[in-house]
Amino acid sequence: MRHNISRSARRITLFTAATTAVLLTAACSGPTDEADDGVTTIVLADAGLGTEADATAKAVEAFESANPDIDVKIESLSTDGTQYMQQLRQRLVAGSTTPDVFKAADIEIASLAESGWLYDLDSLGADPDSFVPGAVKAGQPDGTTVALPWFANVEGVFYRTDLVPEFPATPADLVAAAKAGAAADPAIEYGLAFEGAKYEGAVTVFNLVATGMGGGLDLDNIASDENVAALEFLHDAIYTEGISPEAVNQWHEGEVQEAFSSGQTVFSTNWPFVFGASADGPVDGKIGFAPFPGGGGTIGSEMLGINAKSEQAEAAWKLVQYLTSVEAQLARAEATGNPPSLLAAYNDELFEIAPYFAQVAAVAENATSRPSTPKYTEISAELQTALSSVFANLAEPRAALEEAAEKISEINGS
Amino acid sequence: MSTVSTRGPRAVPPSRAGGPPPRRRTHQTPRRRTQEDSARRLGNALVAPVLLVLLAITAYPLVNNLWNSFHQVILTKPGETPWVGIDNYTRLLGDPDFTDSLTRTLVYTVISVVLQIGLGVVVALVLHHEFRGRGFVRAAVLIPWAVPTVVSALLWRQMFDPRNGFVNYVLGALNLPGSDITWLAGEWTAWVAIFVADSWKTVPFVAILVLAGLQVIPSEIYEAGTIDGANRWQSFWRLTVPLLKPALLTALVFRVLQSFLIFDVIFAMTVGGPGDTTETVTYLNWEAFLVRSDFGAGGATSITIVVISLALAGLATLAIRVRKEDTL
Repeated sequence: MRHNISRSARRITLFTAATTAVLLTAACSGPTDEADDGVTTIVLADAGLGTEADATAKAVEAFESANPDIDVKIESLSTDGTQYMQQLRQRLVAGSTTPDVFKAADIEIASLAESGWLYDLDSLGADPDSFVPGAVKAGQPDGTTVALPWFANVEGVFYRTDLVPEFPATPADLVAAAKAGAAADPAIEYGLAFEGAKYEGAVTVFNLVATGMGGGLDLDNIASDENVAALEFLHDAIYTEGISPEAVNQWHEGEVQEAFSSGQTVFSTNWPFVFGASADGPVDGKIGFAPFPGGGGTIGSEMLGINAKSEQAEAAWKLVQYLTSVEAQLARAEATGNPPSLLAAYNDELFEIAPYFAQVAAVAENATSRPSTPKYTEISAELQTALSSVFANLAEPRAALEEAAEKISEINGS
Repeated sequence: MSTVSTRGPRAVPPSRAGGPPPRRRTHQTPRRRTQEDSARRLGNALVAPVLLVLLAITAYPLVNNLWNSFHQVILTKPGETPWVGIDNYTRLLGDPDFTDSLTRTLVYTVISVVLQIGLGVVVALVLHHEFRGRGFVRAAVLIPWAVPTVVSALLWRQMFDPRNGFVNYVLGALNLPGSDITWLAGEWTAWVAIFVADSWKTVPFVAILVLAGLQVIPSEIYEAGTIDGANRWQSFWRLTVPLLKPALLTALVFRVLQSFLIFDVIFAMTVGGPGDTTETVTYLNWEAFLVRSDFGAGGATSITIVVISLALAGLATLAIRVRKEDTL
């Protein structure tokens, strides 16, 4: 028994030690940068899902066959935007040299740049002027280009062309058109559907309406008269005009798109994916997309940046150049409906692939980005609370914005 | 392994442990000691990984948070972690958002724990009675408890949906008031929805704990009570409740802590909204860590929550003191 015990003890100890060693080795080893055969390996971090992931994989394949000396590994991180950023930050905080190239939402760039995690793309020869101006600004938080837009999403107002013969010129006209449209079609339940849940989508909708009414996300003047008027418009749409259901304060993009695609609403705020999502449905062929009356729109771009610690910056820059080329952008637009970020990509070929991109381009023309600040996430959280209170009729628009303004100035001062 | 013990030589008699043959008995003591040492080493080796894991997942984060709470640790400013003394704590306790959320959380804790334990006792009493299919019902009652909280919270969010949710449909079908309410959009209605989703999961847990307590109460005590002239109400309050105290205490401590630390139900159902009306202390803690990336403030919030939790657990224990004679 003694022998048995000590033998099994030794075996178990050995097994534990071996397992631990294997696990530690596995945990510590990363992808190798350069193989013996002269091929450079770089890592691209992406959060793509479904068609978007497929499109990225195809673009990478095309890049690799054009550059046989570069091998690109795609590191698929979480598809949830918040978790994706956490995973990316963990790698960057740890000082990892990979991923060499990563995508990040436009609102995250200033914060990543402040931490010194983004490579100076101007030094590699970036040409920011060739991109949609509203989208490229987010990549230049301090003037230097540290990220380039991969695709430039834009939020505007969808409407039913069969019920709204002429797009309204003022917010008041929009209310009237919503009521008239609802009276004309018995299938219509709502006049205007919008994202009112407590999340980033409420901020993009607020920016869309506010910029149309002369305001916007000026962090020093959030409680401006124009912004108060914009928030009153959204509040009254629910509680005075009755064109929006009270339930919008629980709605995200998905619920709003369902309401529009199923033919239940005359107007809705949303992003261009609605065109694809409504294909072959009851509203197919009756979809219009325009800026909010007065020229309002919100840009939500996905940007590409290079890790400041990357040991393969030149190969990484080649990949960024390829992903932001006209060829790659047209392929992606066709496969996913992601609006190109390159001005030159808005050409006849694109409009032939999908005619609605002409309307997307018109909305993008005047659309604005959200503020480029390292504290954006914190500021947005305060705005979300304020907007949510108003959409639930728990606070007056002016009081809510004034409280948010106070908290935002505290955040900026700290 | 039942013969392996670290308690003392007697625990492993050589004859039973299949030890050395009798002719070597002169060397028994040193041999036994070697055997003991070997057994102890094996025991330590087997326990060590678990101890390491426990240290890594409980002690390390606690100590790390304590350190963070006295420093400025902002994730987006790597490399700059100056000592700030109790600044993080004074800022936290002076922040009306925190004190408001603390009040909110405590009110919810008191109300939900009282109601959930009351409901749990009722369910347990029903399950304690003999009826056909009792085994099936007892098993079925536990199902909600086995469903992950986020899943059940998302299910309930769907059920409270004003357009196609089950709750408003049933209220409407029964001609009850409330069928036109957007539950998650109003301050107190959102709390009602949170309470329902939370209780659906936790009442069965309380019921099973209390049921276990009920099953160890011998029926003779009730017979004696009946002979002494106690009616059912009296025997419930004078016999059942005092004898259930150990089970109730366990349920109370669990529920008070779980209610005070409620996060996933709220995060999945309301994200703290509408406005900030359902933001609890753990929600603010999440916000400090993951929205503001401020691990100093997050650490201070965590440590404060730990201290309050310990105080609450102590209070809960005091509230139902278990005297020796209450236990059987």
